[in-house]
Amino acid sequence: MSIDIKHIAKLSRLRIEDEKLAKFEKDMENIVAMVDRLPDIEDELTLDPSDAMPLREDKAVPNKFTRDELIANAPEVQAGCLVVPKTVE
Amino acid sequence: MKLYEKTAAELSEMLRNKECSALEILNDVNDRINDVEGKVGAYVTLNEKAAESARAVDEAIARGEELHPLAGIPIGIKDNISTKGLRTTCSSRMLENYVPPFNATVIDKVNDAGMVITGKMNMDEFAMGSSTETSYIHLTHNPHNLECVPGGSSGGSAAAVAAGEAIVTLGSDTGGSIRQPAALCGVVGMKPTYGSVSRYGLVAFASSLDQIGSFGKSVKDVAMVQSAICGYDKMDATSAYVENTDYAANLRDSVRGLKIGVPAEYFGDGIDDDAKGSVYSAIKALEANGAEIRKISLPSTEFAINTYYIIASAEASSNLARFDGVKYGYRAKDYDGLTDMYEKTRSEGFGDEVKRRIMLGTFVLSSGFYDAYYKKAKLVQRKISNEFSQAFKECDVIATPTVPASAFKIGENIGDPLKMYYSDVCTVTVNIAGLPAISLPCGKSKDGMPFGLQFIGSKFAEQTILDAAYGYEKICGGFDSLAKNL
Amino acid sequence: MKEYEIVVGLEVHAELNTESKIYCNCRNAFGLEVNTQVCPICMGMPGTLPTLNEKVVDYAIKMGHALNCKINSVCKQDRKNYFYPDLPKAYQISQAEVPLCEHGHLDIMVDGVEKSIGVTRIHIEEDAGKLLHDESFSGSLVDLNRCGVPLIEIVSEPDIRSSSEAKAYLETIKSILQYINISDCKMQEGSIRCDVNVSVREKGSTEFGTRCEMKNVNSFSAAVRGIEYEAKRQIEVLEAGGTIMQETRRWDDAKGMSFTMRTKEDAQDYRYFPEPDLRTIVVDEAHIQELKGCIPELPNAKISRYVKQHGLSQIDATLIAEDIDKSKLYDECVSLNRCKPKNISNWILADISKFTNDTGRSILETPLTAERLADLIAEVEKKTISNSAAKKVFEIIIKEDKEPAQIIEEQGLAQNSDMGFLEQLVKDVLAANEKSVTDYKNGKTNALGYIVGQCMKASKGKANPGMVKELVTKYLNE
Repeated sequence: MSIDIKHIAKLSRLRIEDEKLAKFEKDMENIVAMVDRLPDIEDELTLDPSDAMPLREDKAVPNKFTRDELIANAPEVQAGCLVVPKTVE
Repeated sequence: MKLYEKTAAELSEMLRNKECSALEILNDVNDRINDVEGKVGAYVTLNEKAAESARAVDEAIARGEELHPLAGIPIGIKDNISTKGLRTTCSSRMLENYVPPFNATVIDKVNDAGMVITGKMNMDEFAMGSSTETSYIHLTHNPHNLECVPGGSSGGSAAAVAAGEAIVTLGSDTGGSIRQPAALCGVVGMKPTYGSVSRYGLVAFASSLDQIGSFGKSVKDVAMVQSAICGYDKMDATSAYVENTDYAANLRDSVRGLKIGVPAEYFGDGIDDDAKGSVYSAIKALEANGAEIRKISLPSTEFAINTYYIIASAEASSNLARFDGVKYGYRAKDYDGLTDMYEKTRSEGFGDEVKRRIMLGTFVLSSGFYDAYYKKAKLVQRKISNEFSQAFKECDVIATPTVPASAFKIGENIGDPLKMYYSDVCTVTVNIAGLPAISLPCGKSKDGMPFGLQFIGSKFAEQTILDAAYGYEKICGGFDSLAKNL
Repeated sequence: MKEYEIVVGLEVHAELNTESKIYCNCRNAFGLEVNTQVCPICMGMPGTLPTLNEKVVDYAIKMGHALNCKINSVCKQDRKNYFYPDLPKAYQISQAEVPLCEHGHLDIMVDGVEKSIGVTRIHIEEDAGKLLHDESFSGSLVDLNRCGVPLIEIVSEPDIRSSSEAKAYLETIKSILQYINISDCKMQEGSIRCDVNVSVREKGSTEFGTRCEMKNVNSFSAAVRGIEYEAKRQIEVLEAGGTIMQETRRWDDAKGMSFTMRTKEDAQDYRYFPEPDLRTIVVDEAHIQELKGCIPELPNAKISRYVKQHGLSQIDATLIAEDIDKSKLYDECVSLNRCKPKNISNWILADISKFTNDTGRSILETPLTAERLADLIAEVEKKTISNSAAKKVFEIIIKEDKEPAQIIEEQGLAQNSDMGFLEQLVKDVLAANEKSVTDYKNGKTNALGYIVGQCMKASKGKANPGMVKELVTKYLNE
């Protein structure tokens, strides 16, 4: 099956350099051909009540982290905010 | 015998008997790191505060405090487990300078036990790979033959134990990432039952398959670490309550009466004859020591790799979407607008293997393909799990090879993703079914490279597989895990 | 021009008023300093995991009961994947396949006619952060405080046929949220938002037209304007021989127009799949029933009770029932059984509503208790005080926190209704104003008012004006 690599890359917010595109396409085709080989199982996925998770009590706790600690790894910061390219015109 | 050559259990005894101090152990390991790290390349980052932790243990000993059995034992941590204040790169350019503001739950447990973190171990980028070659940081070499890969993705963790650069290490296993490198480096590595160890702070690759586990030179060491890191964590909704977790204290060294299932599907054409031969010999030895051998069948094994790559990649495509250059991590230098920033950041920050998996995952989840891939894979996953459940009605553990072949040469498979994926053929089923499994050194290839024996248990049967492994270790007269002539 | 019918479906997002966020222990609070109500979890730091807040599940189930839904006691959560700077994980944890509640309905009243609107589903999900824009700055700023604030999304069937039905539906939803106390419903803080799906079709047609989804509708009145605009736009396209393209549009309330955001071709592919970090949500049947027991009498039931048992008009009953504060005061007042429900309703909808509208205060926060209001109205009914005096008493109660009786006493507001006193008063005034009496008898009827006024003046305003008027009329016509 041929895969629209450019579309998939766009959905993934990735860009494949032109010189790598052919190899990526080939690799992806091979991988998809591999994973394609799955048996048809006539069944539905059902939810399993025994897989229940415990829920958390609704209790707010005081911040354990300062804002500075939390945004210390951010590439660009201004006035306590993260900075991104303008999202509106 | 140098301190770094000893097991955690031995060093624990020595510390208690005041035959050495925690700082002496750490210094010995550090000397070893200085000697061999240049050749092995197991570490991404060394922990500058290790000596501080070791001194704290020595002070506690001096005060006569009761210590955790693992107090003072040097441990290396795979670089996808968050360590507060110590950079956690996932061996990716994306997180090259990322310093977490919090500890993973396992790190809190390791610290509470008084273990001494030596540093962060190299890995395949975001744990995607089977050779540690996809690391952005550097290569890791197999201590048994520096031209060979250590396996992966937890290659640094496995190599460090085999090289004596850490006494024990933590890794993570999504499709074999602990057991495969353990086998290729000739050490013991265990992947616990899904949910038995908290994933909080483990940078997610495939959330439903990821599990933290440990490496050591002996079964007892792995049992001790597992006891220290397991347990329910309210921060991880997928973690489970586990009872009777003092695995090391409860170890049984006899395999008499142990029912071992041997599935034909794991001994097929794709498995190297010598790898198979080593495992068959091990099974014979176990039988000779009183184990009962049962032939079993796990017919859907042939679909395991396919199922695994669909589920793991789907989850990865979503888990790795957060790396977008906004909150942390790499951001491209020049961009024109938001979308361009995203695309450049992610294209420059991720390596090719990560990109392939993200794209595969995006593809199998995308509109029109979900049912044909993701949903189908989930149905096969359930079938594989059911087959295991059936099998465990007839046996206590299942024995298989861990790897289809011994360690390959660096560069040999890197250009061929499918060939690389095949190294996980014996290990992925365990993650798909959420089971515990352990890999043990089991014979060597003609070139002297280790093979692995894998024991698989039913859910939460960690004690059972550890007992089987311990029994096998006794039969072998101990494992010779440390690489010679390094 | 052909006759068209508007078809509307609404997706209402309501922020829940829990103490903590949906997947972490951060405080669920509005209006605090940027990025101070966040933690590694709601910031989507690598390795963090969500844990589901039990109150969120309870609140959604309550809403499910209130909207007559089937509650799915076993359900799960799914990831909705898309990239945007206000979404730190690049996916929103929501519910796709199996929502917590589904197959419900809500009865609304429009122009005195009851109509049932189908509720497709109610599901739980997390809110995103906020982007701040400033002219002076070349980028956008990201504040993640709102990330992880719990939301329920209530999706209606396309059963709504006009903007007034949409408004009634939204108002009813809002009042229910307040009655069951799961949302603050502060529109100006964005705690209720909606997406509007609009299509038009020829009247009588059973097929649906192509729909457009309108986003960024931030108030109920904007929803009304948006629906009217969008329906008009679509009808114009059809009348001009065009076809409607399925698309997502953005409502610009300031301009009163909608604009294309994205067409069907570049519709987002959200790649929903089960959230692997959370296991199955399982709620036991007893708990679901317990939550049902917590649902108070809802507006629709109140309206019908007010009309049938108290004789209120449909409009008055609706105005009181849809406002939780008003209905609380009303119900308490009625239960005291000291005055007529109709008079209570009049007071609440006139003077009290004017007061709350003018001051922005809630009547429940003032010294006007149900007891005091009932006493005040009772005094008017007994004719102890006049209506205008009652208004004065009302103001003083609120200002000075006193009992009505005390105020009437202190201010000397009691009317004199003693027949002997009044008869003498009227006789005296008529005797002193012979000219006016003559005028009246000669047909100048406005002389009556003058005489009554003189009586009031003579009594220093204490005479019961109604009785005075009756007496004056009686004597003049003798």
